[in-house]
Amino acid sequence: MTADNRFEFVKMDETASEHIAAPRYSYWRSVFRKFFSSKVVILMLVIALAITLFSFIQPLFSKFDPTVAQDILDRSKRFLPPSLEYPFGTDHVGTNMFDAVWASCGNSLSIALIATAITTVLGVIVGAFWGFSKKLDKIMIEVYNVVANIPFTLVVMVLMYVIGRGKWQLIFALSCTSWLSTAYFIRVQVMIIRDREYNLASKCLGTKTSTIISHNIMPYLISIIVTSIARDIPNFISYEVFLSFIGVGLDYREPSLGRMVQDYVGYMQTPSAAHLFWIPVCLCALISISLYIVGQALADASDPRTHMI
Amino acid sequence: MEEKKNIILSVKDLVVKFKVRDRVLTAIRNISLDFEEGKVVAIVGESGSGKSVFTKTFTGMLETNGEVTQGEIWFEGENLMTFKKDEEWMKIRGKKIATVFQDPMTSLNPVRTIGYQISEVIIKHQGKSKEEAKQEAIKLMERVGIYDAERRYDEYPFMYSGGMRQRIVIAIALACRPKILICDEPTTALDVTIQAQIIHLIKELSQEYGFTTIYITHDLGVVANVADVVAVMYAGQIIEYGTVEEVFYDPRHPYTWGLLSSLPQLGEKGHELFAIPGTPPSLFEEIKGDAFAPRSEYAMRIDFEEEPPIFKVSDTHYAKTWLLDPRAPKVEKPVTIQNLHEKMVAITAKGGIYGERE
Amino acid sequence: MANENKEVLLSVQHLEVSFYNNKKRFRAVKNACFDIYKGETFALVGESGSGKTTIGRSIIRLNPTSDGDILYKGKKINGKISKEEQRDLVRNIQMIFQDPAASLNERATIDYCISEGLYNFHLYKDEADREAKVDRALESVGLLPEHKSRYPHEFSGGQRQRVGIARAMIMEPEFIIADEPISALDVSIRAQVLNLMNKFKEERGLTYMFIAHDLSVVRYFSDRIAVIHKGRIVEIAPTDILFRFPLHPYTHSLLQAVPIPDPKVEKSKELVIYDESKRDLSGEKPVLQEIRPGHFVFANDREMKEYEAKLQEWEKAGK
Repeated sequence: MTADNRFEFVKMDETASEHIAAPRYSYWRSVFRKFFSSKVVILMLVIALAITLFSFIQPLFSKFDPTVAQDILDRSKRFLPPSLEYPFGTDHVGTNMFDAVWASCGNSLSIALIATAITTVLGVIVGAFWGFSKKLDKIMIEVYNVVANIPFTLVVMVLMYVIGRGKWQLIFALSCTSWLSTAYFIRVQVMIIRDREYNLASKCLGTKTSTIISHNIMPYLISIIVTSIARDIPNFISYEVFLSFIGVGLDYREPSLGRMVQDYVGYMQTPSAAHLFWIPVCLCALISISLYIVGQALADASDPRTHMI
Repeated sequence: MEEKKNIILSVKDLVVKFKVRDRVLTAIRNISLDFEEGKVVAIVGESGSGKSVFTKTFTGMLETNGEVTQGEIWFEGENLMTFKKDEEWMKIRGKKIATVFQDPMTSLNPVRTIGYQISEVIIKHQGKSKEEAKQEAIKLMERVGIYDAERRYDEYPFMYSGGMRQRIVIAIALACRPKILICDEPTTALDVTIQAQIIHLIKELSQEYGFTTIYITHDLGVVANVADVVAVMYAGQIIEYGTVEEVFYDPRHPYTWGLLSSLPQLGEKGHELFAIPGTPPSLFEEIKGDAFAPRSEYAMRIDFEEEPPIFKVSDTHYAKTWLLDPRAPKVEKPVTIQNLHEKMVAITAKGGIYGERE
Repeated sequence: MANENKEVLLSVQHLEVSFYNNKKRFRAVKNACFDIYKGETFALVGESGSGKTTIGRSIIRLNPTSDGDILYKGKKINGKISKEEQRDLVRNIQMIFQDPAASLNERATIDYCISEGLYNFHLYKDEADREAKVDRALESVGLLPEHKSRYPHEFSGGQRQRVGIARAMIMEPEFIIADEPISALDVSIRAQVLNLMNKFKEERGLTYMFIAHDLSVVRYFSDRIAVIHKGRIVEIAPTDILFRFPLHPYTHSLLQAVPIPDPKVEKSKELVIYDESKRDLSGEKPVLQEIRPGHFVFANDREMKEYEAKLQEWEKAGK
């Protein structure tokens, strides 16, 4: 046997062990992978997207206007059951329910989305500075204490009585105080992360507070913000429905799910016309649930702790 | 073998895997080890070497994404790896094999009094009455060094300092009279002066109560103090095993050499300290050959090709390195760690205090 | 000692730091006085809660001080200072943090982490210059340019700490506060980081304040040591003097408690417990006094006499 050359020393490569073999980590890719890993979530996303798109596109073609009842005199078009021509049937004045439902749904959704957008943007910006500034905290905490102790419904109702009914009035009333609770929520989170060592390190490197907020704190709050959005949208939809139902939301010129529920609540027990009530109710439930589940899944997926397992 | 030594726990060819981000991490790679009754076994290794995972398998406390995929653990005539249900583990966990963790608060209930938590265990495991249990608990508290135990019996964990809490955790562990006490870095979170006291206490108690101690640490100073036997772990394997004297004065594995050489006590002012270069390997990758080879200046070609077997150095001393193969070139351990004892004596004797030597 | 002709870089004088919790005052640092000379490594040693980190953070202005002065090159740097002075300070004094897992922004790439200071002061000509600087910084701590696009959680503890060092060094500071830079690292990695810090010190003539609890590391790494106990500095001396002639009982117990990695030494050691309540505290209030040139101890006159006797005895024994 010749000498075994396998037992010769090898020169060491000092950087060899410094390489990282793992595939590159990308935050957004991990978010998408995690998000699309559940079949239920994908189904809910399809439902939510379909409803949203349909309720914004269909009214463009139907040009539905709740103040016009063109078939009001045509008795043959009253209380028709669902058919090919009238997929959701017609009501007591011969309104095509299919057009009415989608126009209402689009309107309700846009109210919820705009109110959520205002609430979130205002809440996050104010909350971030609130969490950082001790001076601001002293004032804001008093404001919050007062506002948080008045029931939200009461605030909205009083506001609606004062400024009158209407879409933009409703959006204003809904987002007028709700941003405060988002801001408070964000403030608490900011205070938790604010004093972590990496923020102290940034401070030692001379980083400005605004940069610390945008680069060090905000990325950590993505999943929290998404959670808050996922909670707000269905919430605002149900507020619109509730307020319109009790008659302080939208007026008769604006179609909305809440107005439909109010209009047709009398048919709930009438077998031949019960769908007039149940279709908007079910749609409302479906969109709330699907949006909520999608939002929660997105919030989960955007939390990097879930990327590890 | 079994006749000579009294083996209390025997691990055979254990493999533990974790699922992380759709990938599999092999934390323990084929470990076999016998624990001798009554001894203090120190398991040394850096974070990620698998030392905690290894001992967690003894009590079935692996995280949910971890799994033992192969191997046996024999304890009192039973293979613990056949356990399926938590009830089966309950007969072992805490009762026969108790664990003291790094952070005492993880083992204490913050809303119950210290006394309640100790006597609860005594009532459950020793079947004593409430009054007897209280007396026993106070005795235990005194034993682990709580002054004025009777008064402090009704206090809550937050009223205790970190060192005192760790004493209580030890007292609770002792209340079940375990056969094995696993100490998972019990003093890492404590101050040096407190650490010395806790280690002293554990050593005393192990003799008094006659339990076997498995002590996990990364601090070689602590190992020197507490251990009878040392197992050095690297990348999920035990790479050297021997009595504490053998491992410190006659180490054989290049990793052990590196660990000892980089001790700051051996550093001379103005000279570079010996440092093991690089970074430990990622256990997500399949490791070929000797895991330490890329960081070792003694690596041979074969180290990159084939995993070394365990070579026997003496009856009590084993090392897993190709350097011990008869075909390998003869190498002495690094100069830095030759005459380790004399060097340590020299620095501790200076001024008579850093170690209080004559 | 030749301390007189050395340049004092940082001087801490009668520093007090208090925290308030529900109007209850907690004095974290009590009347601390010490000087740090240019080019030396000054260690501040104590247990957790002793106030050592608080002193470090007061110097770098993360903690407000309640009394006393901190002078950097003779200029007061605590309390209210101008924006301009603050800018200069950030560039001259940098900090290395204890926990590499907590001190890097997990949502930023290594490139951003290291460039953060450069961005803040626009310390680069153009993008290419910045990248070159980052590459050089990475290389100087033994990391690779390919690491730039990675995130901190992909690195091991030792690698992260080296990123932390690179981030501080890229500012080209004169004075570094290292707050337990190696205690969260694995044993096999600690020596790497210590060597790296020593390399930078030699290359750039840095001054370090090294905050630590492990005396065996401090013995190797630092030139002078201050021992701090419960917010009070109890002893200051050059390293070899402190190890040979430790006077204060607390220093004594600290030296005693460090485990020695040698089974024969360690197993024959006896346990000494420092219990302040059992000490004879009679006599007047103790103060920090110089017993030998450069060797300070916290004592009153009665204790000074005892220490003096002890010192003379040791010196006679020729140690």
